[in-house]
Amino acid sequence: MKIKATTWLVIPTLVMLLALVLYPTVYLWYMVFYSYHPARDPYPIFVGLKNLGTLVSDSEASYAILTMLALVGITIPAQLALGSLLAILFTAKNTRGKLGLKVLLLIPMMIPAVIIGLNWKMIFFSKGPLNAFLSLLGVSPQPWLSEPFGNPYLALFSIAFLDIWQWTPFITIAVISGIESAPKEVYEAASLDGASEIQILRHVVLPMIKGIIVIILLLRIIDSLKIFDIIYMLTFGGPGIVTTTFPFQIYKTGFTLTSAHPDIGYASLLSLILLAISTCIAMIIMKLFHIEKLIWE
Amino acid sequence: MRKMTVVLTLISWIVLVVYLTPFIWMIGTSFKPIGEWGEPQLLPQNPTLRNYEELTTGGIYGVRGHFPPITRYLINSIITSAVVALLTTLFGSMTAYAIQRYRVGGSTFASWILSLRMIPPVAILLPLVLMTKTLGIYNTLTGLIFVYPVIALPITTWFMIGSFKSIPRETDEAALIDGCTELQAFYRIVLPQSITGLATAATFAFLFSWSEFLIPLLLAPSESTMPLTVFAAYFSNQYGILWGPLSSAAVVIAIPVIVIAIIIQKYIVRGLTLGFVR
Repeated sequence: MKIKATTWLVIPTLVMLLALVLYPTVYLWYMVFYSYHPARDPYPIFVGLKNLGTLVSDSEASYAILTMLALVGITIPAQLALGSLLAILFTAKNTRGKLGLKVLLLIPMMIPAVIIGLNWKMIFFSKGPLNAFLSLLGVSPQPWLSEPFGNPYLALFSIAFLDIWQWTPFITIAVISGIESAPKEVYEAASLDGASEIQILRHVVLPMIKGIIVIILLLRIIDSLKIFDIIYMLTFGGPGIVTTTFPFQIYKTGFTLTSAHPDIGYASLLSLILLAISTCIAMIIMKLFHIEKLIWE
Repeated sequence: MRKMTVVLTLISWIVLVVYLTPFIWMIGTSFKPIGEWGEPQLLPQNPTLRNYEELTTGGIYGVRGHFPPITRYLINSIITSAVVALLTTLFGSMTAYAIQRYRVGGSTFASWILSLRMIPPVAILLPLVLMTKTLGIYNTLTGLIFVYPVIALPITTWFMIGSFKSIPRETDEAALIDGCTELQAFYRIVLPQSITGLATAATFAFLFSWSEFLIPLLLAPSESTMPLTVFAAYFSNQYGILWGPLSSAAVVIAIPVIVIAIIIQKYIVRGLTLGFVR
């Protein structure tokens, strides 16, 4: 069979992605049936469905999933509200320097997350600038990362706060481009008809950018499944397991072997669960947004 | 009306400056002498370049003695990101062309590539670590260059699909009628017309590779291969009290990203939303 010339074009990509994604996925499915702790076992031991049993009784893993959901539940609505507010402020007819505002606002989300983590580790430090600033306002210093004996949930709050700070600009920028992509005539017609700015926002702008908001939300959820760098830098999942989200639990189970059930086979099971979650959301995105249209029409 | 303009503009810019305060503080700290490191002032009272000098020479502060100069990690990051950017832009644009113009693989292949953009890397890294060990490229730059495309390739492919879509079909159809083969039409006609798209896709691939942390943390943990991001984490664990040099290292890592982001700001939304928002 002769392969068409244009088909050859996809071969390098196909081979690379098969090696980097398909092979690992198959390997995970294989390892799910094994138990392997490098320091304990000379080689992986077949254990059948035992890892599934471990999962059912593993309160740490379910806690990590809950933490992940809690973070998503707190940060995304906050980002949406704050981000839209900023977008409205930055696109108002009378605001000057729009391009500058937009470009500088990119900084928090474009800088490597590790650097954001480094930055805020210093900010949140108990003798750091945040507490020094608050003491000027008469607020007593807080152990923002719960070190050493603070309320453990304060650290989770700080992580959420940081995520909100980092990704609100994403919503803002996306909403701004939604507002700007709408034809000017629509706004003019509405204001000629005597609609107030608020009415225009509510009845003209909102319906037009609804699609954008939905896709942004879904992409934010997907990205929340990846939060790792910041937790690594700020709390390393602590105190205890309070800020250990699901991806970090996989890291602790399979790589540092410091979770309650350190085991490579078990970590494979957790990895597959994470893959399944992200694949589901990806499929929702592609169903909702007709990628055929995006590519070919 | 004029009053409204002043008020709104002022509010917007104050909000922005407050928003960026943490970052401004870090830049300030990178110029502060040792006595001022923990101070909340945004700007140093006695600015110094010493933190930056020590980054390039290796440091002498602190109880743990010297920290290594940043140069090697900078080179590691630049090499890895540049090679990955070139490679994934080349392969990505080839794939994008085949998908956009000839529907190779149909919508299944296209959606598969898109879904890869959404995979959390931690989920597939266990096998990838073993794989690089088997191939003998664990803890090498080659290993990083081998694995980073899992993040960069879906991005460049998707970006280039968008770029090719905006070039009218008639351009390459005319070339086909003139007797070019499909491949010739691709690299003689379509590619030269998408220089901006190619450059932007490469820039995205560079940015994502530059910022990547988890993959090199697991695949290249040794001091000779780690890129800047892993170095920053290592630095903060080992020499966490050295806020001055730490901040200057952070600034060195962040500055290229900010410069690049400003240059490609027009395309960032499209790049980050996978083309769903333009």
